[in-house]
Amino acid sequence: MTPELDRRRFLKLASATALVAACGGATTAPTPTPSVAAATATGTPKPTGRISVYSALNELTNNEFIKGFKVAVPGVEIDLVPLAAAAELQTRIRAEKASPKADIFIGGDSSFHDGLGKEGLLEPYTSPNASAIAKEAKDPNGNWTGFYFGIFGIITNTDRFNKEIGGPKPTSWDDLLDAKYRGKLVLGSPITTGGGYIFIATQVFRFGRDETKAMDYMKKFHANVAQYPGTSPQAIALVSQGQFVGAPNWAHDILSEKAKNPGIDLSIPKGTGYEIGGVSIVKGSKNLPAAKAFIDWVLTKEAGELNVRLSNRVSVRTDVAPAPGAPTLQSVELVNYDRDWASANKDRLVRAWQQAVGL
Amino acid sequence: MTSLRREPSLLLALAIVTGLVLSFIVYPQLRVLATPGPAGYIDFLSFGSWVRPLQNSITVTVLSTTTAVLLGFVYAYAMVYTDMPGKPFFRVIGILPLLSPPFVVAAAYILLFGPRGIITYHVFGLSPNILGLYGIWGVQTIAFFPFAYQLIADVLSRSDARLEQAARNLGAGPWQVFRSVTLPLTRPGLGAAILTTAIYVLEDFGNPALIGGLYTVLPTQAYGLISGFADLTGASVVSTILLLLALGLYVSKIRLDGGRAYVTVSGRASSMPRPPVPRVVSICALLACSALALLILLVYGTLVVSALTFAFPTNLTFTTQHLEYIGAHNLSLRNTLTFGLVAAAFSAVFAMFAGFLVERGTWRGRRALDFLLIMPAAVPGLFFGIGYAMAFNEPWLDWLDRGALITISMIFWNIPVGYQAAVAGLRQIDRSIDEAATSLGASRLRGFRDVLVPMLGGSLRVGFVTTFVRAVTTLSVVIFLFTPQSVVATITIFQLVNDFNWGGATAFTVADVSMAIIALLVVAAVGRGRIALGAARA
Repeated sequence: MTPELDRRRFLKLASATALVAACGGATTAPTPTPSVAAATATGTPKPTGRISVYSALNELTNNEFIKGFKVAVPGVEIDLVPLAAAAELQTRIRAEKASPKADIFIGGDSSFHDGLGKEGLLEPYTSPNASAIAKEAKDPNGNWTGFYFGIFGIITNTDRFNKEIGGPKPTSWDDLLDAKYRGKLVLGSPITTGGGYIFIATQVFRFGRDETKAMDYMKKFHANVAQYPGTSPQAIALVSQGQFVGAPNWAHDILSEKAKNPGIDLSIPKGTGYEIGGVSIVKGSKNLPAAKAFIDWVLTKEAGELNVRLSNRVSVRTDVAPAPGAPTLQSVELVNYDRDWASANKDRLVRAWQQAVGL
Repeated sequence: MTSLRREPSLLLALAIVTGLVLSFIVYPQLRVLATPGPAGYIDFLSFGSWVRPLQNSITVTVLSTTTAVLLGFVYAYAMVYTDMPGKPFFRVIGILPLLSPPFVVAAAYILLFGPRGIITYHVFGLSPNILGLYGIWGVQTIAFFPFAYQLIADVLSRSDARLEQAARNLGAGPWQVFRSVTLPLTRPGLGAAILTTAIYVLEDFGNPALIGGLYTVLPTQAYGLISGFADLTGASVVSTILLLLALGLYVSKIRLDGGRAYVTVSGRASSMPRPPVPRVVSICALLACSALALLILLVYGTLVVSALTFAFPTNLTFTTQHLEYIGAHNLSLRNTLTFGLVAAAFSAVFAMFAGFLVERGTWRGRRALDFLLIMPAAVPGLFFGIGYAMAFNEPWLDWLDRGALITISMIFWNIPVGYQAAVAGLRQIDRSIDEAATSLGASRLRGFRDVLVPMLGGSLRVGFVTTFVRAVTTLSVVIFLFTPQSVVATITIFQLVNDFNWGGATAFTVADVSMAIIALLVVAAVGRGRIALGAARA
């Protein structure tokens, strides 16, 4: 009985001490840069310490990015929280706002970053390396910066397509409404995946923002859909296995899968949409100098080339060549995609879609 | 009440248990449920998008629970009553479906039985659309029968052989004994099994998400809301609906139990063997269990094969390259093992102790504590995780180690099964046994420790095993909590799956599952002799 009480008193004391320490830490150390670094005469102290990076990028890219950053900015250690689902990372950052644990949020469509920025959960920062980036690929308020483009395309299972659909591969989104596709298509869920929503928004823009026509399209498309998987890679895996015939999905991911399974094909219909992969600093970061150094590095040519090589995506930098065989913004026919509008109307459109298809 | 006042240590124990339940089950959930505010609730409820998922959830719960409990009962009966061969093998098989990390196993079902499934298409030339209600029903039946099996086997093994022998001697046939003696005596266990299975089916997110097609249930809807709209409001409302359904199940279970007594372990010891079951029953049991085992082995076999081939199923060239991921991510395997074992030990003991306080207590408010201890089963893991991320991610709690927090979340999220087993077990033990101890001068707590716990080895085992396997396989609880130092295997698997690295993901899953099985076997071997860890073996 007494040991129990002792332990409880100890816990109380321990938490009280921690409380004092936490408050003290918050007021006395706004810049945790060690005094050694601050003492260097160069004016801009070298960033040191650790930063925590919440990354929605794939494993290989994460590893190579950490390696590259370490070479460029020695002295900063990265704690990586990898979760290839930007929506979960966004939710996590939101849930942690009382005591933020992330310094950097990288990867995922800019709409995920934009949402956090509008809620005041991001630290605005305009990197000197962002000056060369086109203005539609970065936030005017500096909350996030784009570092890659992802283009939306269609994956088809060649064998099943030839046997069950026939003819040329789809060249327009309307081709997917053919009754031959009934129950043979999948689409990453518009609710949980960035791509699923970009698919809806693309239809809206394609019909000149006539939402009735767009929802009518989504309804007809729905008749051909067997499932809306929770993540984009699931949709690619299902088509790659031949469980289903086709899926609208990311061109770069389809190419990565094609490298392993030649039995699939990529086609890009005219009037397609695209994503901008973003990177941002989370408000409350305890190591801003290092976080800024990370953003600066991600926007370098070197990091851009790494990303292109590892993921087939298109760099936002004009001086980075695209991956061999990968489509670029210039090589495809894009819809007039208004990112701000798409981001601002996301919840409303997805709900309208849910009602239209009855999900 | 009087006994509580007479025994302050018991009162203190009750206060501690209640305090822990309030801190680690109720408080985090309140943080989530309080997010929307009344306006948020009204707004969401009037949108009406929850009606269809609610209907679907009820349909699926009724169907899957029925088949899972039936299968669980057959399996438990075969294991406890018949003399079929190969019981150690079937015991491991009966745990395997619990050890299915999200994504990978349901994906294996699609690989095997999908429109281009290896079995359905390549063997039988069929192209069934298994996505939808029937897919969920089938997969959930396999996934959840182990819960029912464990709980029922625990109860069956404690039923009194003398009553059955007596019935046989009085001229009853085997079927009549089963119907009029065995079945009625297992009612509390069956009730607990049905309730637990139903609540877990209701809460299940992973299977409907992967195999549900266009069939939305409440957990998949809540997940979509939270991860798509970052809509804690809608998600909280859906979560509230789930909790209300669970409450409904709980109330009906209490009705079902009635006020009857189910004592099968009385003060007088007996070591009489069970009456033999007819040979034909044993053979049927063996056939049924073998068929089930074959199906389960097929699923896990798929994982093993794809872990060792270049690109399953398109390129079946043998390779060991995927095994490299096991070494590269050994930290997450080690964390999984540590968190799982610690959580399982604490959860099993805590659940048993709480079961003792509730079942043997006469104090007011124990029904409330009873429900609170079952409630976590109805909380989708995602909410449990978000609740913890919101409640315990405060500046003044930053000293708290994340690994410890993850472990705590696993302890309390997984309490229901162990707790249900403990309560069902205690109800079969005559109170005269407790009274014998107390009249010999032992305190109630001492009586619990020295007399009841040794008799409840089976329940302890159920609590340990289910907590461990669920801790090892949960993704949704940890997804908002893990840090680089406290990463776990399911996070790694999720990451590999989303990296199009099916080979790596299956290799890692096989490593995770094998590690868990070995850990369970070691614990069973160490535990035998000390406590009757394998009461279900009887």
